[in-house]
Amino acid sequence: MRKHLPQIGVDEEENEINLTPMLDVVFIMLIFFIVTASFVKEIGLDVNRPDAPTTEVKPEDANILVTIDANDDVFINRRLVDPRAVRANIERLHAENPQGSVVIQASKRSTNKMLVTVMDASRQAGVYSISIADNER
Amino acid sequence: MRNKQTAAAGEEENEINLTPMLDVVFIMLIFFIVTATFIKEPGVDVDRPDALTAEQQFDAAILIAISGSDEIWIDRKQVDSRSVRDAIERLHLENPRGGIVIQADENSTHEQLVVVMEAAKQAGVSNVAIASTND
Repeated sequence: MRKHLPQIGVDEEENEINLTPMLDVVFIMLIFFIVTASFVKEIGLDVNRPDAPTTEVKPEDANILVTIDANDDVFINRRLVDPRAVRANIERLHAENPQGSVVIQASKRSTNKMLVTVMDASRQAGVYSISIADNER
Repeated sequence: MRNKQTAAAGEEENEINLTPMLDVVFIMLIFFIVTATFIKEPGVDVDRPDALTAEQQFDAAILIAISGSDEIWIDRKQVDSRSVRDAIERLHLENPRGGIVIQADENSTHEQLVVVMEAAKQAGVSNVAIASTND
């Protein structure tokens, strides 16, 4: 008994956990997560995909149909339109029919540059609901 | 003698209390672990088209690139157009909240873009955007 008591006292004093190694590990983990935290800044245009099947079978006259053919020519209402004039055309058609959304029907061979140009023009004209018709053609 | 004693007491109290710092460090650690979204980079450079109305995409978790020669790149690997859906499904499982940003080169064709968008739709990712620059 007597022998044990002082030993317990010594044990208690040494019972303080040495935090230094844990601190090292925690710091290294912290640095790892800070370094690997990749704050990727990606900017882009949202593609509005009509999920409900009813939105896809809207009557055609309710929408502004923009066609891009294989030579990257833009057609609105079957009229060839200069890419710089797309915005003005969509603005005019949107004013006539504010409910309509823009439907882009692009040829398989058309480049994505023209697609984004048309989408951007439409958004500049204030029409943010753009759908890309992904049927044949 | 007395002076020495007080000096000894002062030295003993000189030990810095690490507990508050430890709290802060732990909270920072947890913050960085929670916010760490490991974004899958495609690994090829593409010429993004210009768009003035582009917005920052905050929830991008999977980046899919379509190079100028119509190759689809996901997670640093070139992917066949038929296996895009599987690749998206696999990556989407790792981070179900994230959306997809398609980095389509200016000269890539619409066909490949539709392939990727269709695959994303089939894989159940509704949040799809097309990357662009805005300058």
